[in-house]
Amino acid sequence: MSTVVKAAGTPTSAKAQAGEIVVSSVGKSYGEGQFVKEVVKDCSFTIERGKLTVMIGPSGCGKSTLIRLLAGFEKPTSGSIKINGKPVTGPGKDRLVLFQESALFPWMTTYDNIMYGPRARGEDTKEARSLAEMLLDKVGLRAFRKKYPTQLSGGMQRRAELARAMINNPEVMILDEPFRGLDAMSKELMWEYYSRLYEESGRTNFFITTDIDEAIFLADRLLIMTNVPTQVRAVVEIDIPRPRDLVSLVDDDRANEVKMEALSLLHEEAMKSFAGGSKAAADFIEAYSKRLRTKKE
Amino acid sequence: MFREHAASMQSRPSSEAEQLIVRLLKRTMPFQVISEGMLQSVAAVSRPFSYRAGEVIYRAGDKADDVYVVVSGAVDHLLSDTPTTVERNRVMHSGDVFGWAAVLGQDKRVRLATATCVETAEVIRINGAALIERLNDDPATAKVVMSRFATMITREFGAPAAAAQIVAPNRTVSDAPAAVPRPRGHATGLALTLYRISRWLRSPKPFLMLLGFALFLGFWYLSVQVWKLPRFREMPGLTTVFHEWFSKNPTYGLSFYTPEYYQDIWVSVRRVGIAFFLATALGVPLGLFLGWSRTFREYVFPVFEMLRPIPVLAWVPLAILMFSGSETPVIFLTFLASFFATALNTMLGVESIDESYTRAADCLGASKMQVFRHVIVPGAMPYIFTGLQISVGVAWFSLVAAEMVSGQFGLGYVINTSYTMVRYPTIGIGMITLGAVGYVTSALVRIVGDSMMQWRVRELALGGR
Repeated sequence: MSTVVKAAGTPTSAKAQAGEIVVSSVGKSYGEGQFVKEVVKDCSFTIERGKLTVMIGPSGCGKSTLIRLLAGFEKPTSGSIKINGKPVTGPGKDRLVLFQESALFPWMTTYDNIMYGPRARGEDTKEARSLAEMLLDKVGLRAFRKKYPTQLSGGMQRRAELARAMINNPEVMILDEPFRGLDAMSKELMWEYYSRLYEESGRTNFFITTDIDEAIFLADRLLIMTNVPTQVRAVVEIDIPRPRDLVSLVDDDRANEVKMEALSLLHEEAMKSFAGGSKAAADFIEAYSKRLRTKKE
Repeated sequence: MFREHAASMQSRPSSEAEQLIVRLLKRTMPFQVISEGMLQSVAAVSRPFSYRAGEVIYRAGDKADDVYVVVSGAVDHLLSDTPTTVERNRVMHSGDVFGWAAVLGQDKRVRLATATCVETAEVIRINGAALIERLNDDPATAKVVMSRFATMITREFGAPAAAAQIVAPNRTVSDAPAAVPRPRGHATGLALTLYRISRWLRSPKPFLMLLGFALFLGFWYLSVQVWKLPRFREMPGLTTVFHEWFSKNPTYGLSFYTPEYYQDIWVSVRRVGIAFFLATALGVPLGLFLGWSRTFREYVFPVFEMLRPIPVLAWVPLAILMFSGSETPVIFLTFLASFFATALNTMLGVESIDESYTRAADCLGASKMQVFRHVIVPGAMPYIFTGLQISVGVAWFSLVAAEMVSGQFGLGYVINTSYTMVRYPTIGIGMITLGAVGYVTSALVRIVGDSMMQWRVRELALGGR
């Protein structure tokens, strides 16, 4: 098991500790009759409370479908999803989802965007405002509070969105490839940023990615998914102590071990999806792996 | 910075040269108002130099040590591109001061521009650090000089913030102007508009616009009155129309000096105003609901699409049957086309809203009504205002059609009756007035739209529009 160091300093951490999601034999398919496409099949896993669970899988494997199911925007065709023992019936304030594409309202300033959740619930209180100030500081956007989203860089937009989510103090935060499309440098900064925020809050986080380095840097538990229809292929507990830093992770034997393990599984799944399209591709992979084998001998 | 092969340098200026420098400094903006004694002390840290044409005095990024005053010749000053630069390129002549980076913050003294000698130039170089030292002896003078430098910088960078920073007591700023916050973000709507207008006035665009008008009027004049081209012969000529328009005692009874002229304008504006208001008040909500509710749309949209292509003129008989009097049918006809344009554009606006915004609002706990108010309405706003611009245009279009068919007074009525009563110059007056008034109303709609959508204005501004 992991040896996570959690800061218990934040007053909200007790509440944030709640939030366990149990996904049991969930299936999801689209279309009818002969056009049916099965995206998720008999998929079961648990998102443990207070942990950062990262899901990784080849692109197009149905991760985003799973997110929509978890968020409650769509209903599973079979099986059930329960949060704190209660079934998920629709979007709720206990789960907050950050989607791939930036969804800051372009017609609101950074500050108004962050305050949107509290205001929508009619809680434009002193506490909410001071929490917003604190979050603005935390994500380093104090100077940009009156700017509109289009005036911010990609990384700033993601940070503003993190702040907008966190002010609502959700039990579970679900993030769907939030740092996709950022340049390498901002991406690494965002990892450090995000993991610090997570360590401070100790709330349940579910993070989806296709980037193995991102996954290992962030995760307590790593779920490796199969190709479509998606299922959990393996669960890897990542017991590297926190706080982690990028430089030392490169030399860390345990990290590299996990990485190799995860990569070989992922590679297999990716190859399946690659070959799924054509006979020629399958033949090519066959030949390629044969050559690898002979080389080793 | 000092290039030995070209610059001739005198190590210590003689007292005579010093007097020359003092006299010259008196002519420059930053040093205009300071005392003789102080000027002499500044002259003591100055050295005269000369540069050949084509020689680079300094480049952006070089270390900045001296401030330059042009004695004679011309120096081209090209600011490195920053987002706030107003006037990038300037040519400096006698009495101009440049190289102010040398008096900025201690560790940021780096050239922000490239200065190239255009024609053989004589300059005075004043050491920046020494200048600040001298000025420190007299804080009051320092303040004046520095604030004048600040004004210069502001003029070049258009950044009020740079000025605010540099006037700090007796010296220097904490940061180079390149790092100054961009004014766009802080500017209010009005300041932004004024800034854009002043930029427009300094660009070649107004000139081109005037040229366009001149060409158009010139063609009118030549084709009708000079060349008398076949199809133009019957048209009222440019001078005839303008003579009539500005006449105190117009032949056909309509000019700037007759009250009827203003009455006709007022009647038309009022009709368009009422019709446009009704079209907006009904069209925007209808469009919002059409876009928002799928069921509502299934009922209404097919009927809407069938009515929309029917031209205004085809509605005339029905309008006269439906409404009594002459005023209401005209307003109704004017209203129709505007209404369709507004509703359709609003609906498209709602459809254009990315699903991720509504999803995000759902996630953040917004109710259905809140999603409508906070996401659907502002998200559709850019399309709504595009629709309103079109709507104002078609309102004028159908107004004139309606006034020609039924109605009394109004610009369309003037044009039509002038034709039947052979008052040709008045047709010209009516048409030009119509164009001008239409242009103004359309501009008003755009101004209102811009002030309601600051976020959109900024977005477009970032795209360089």
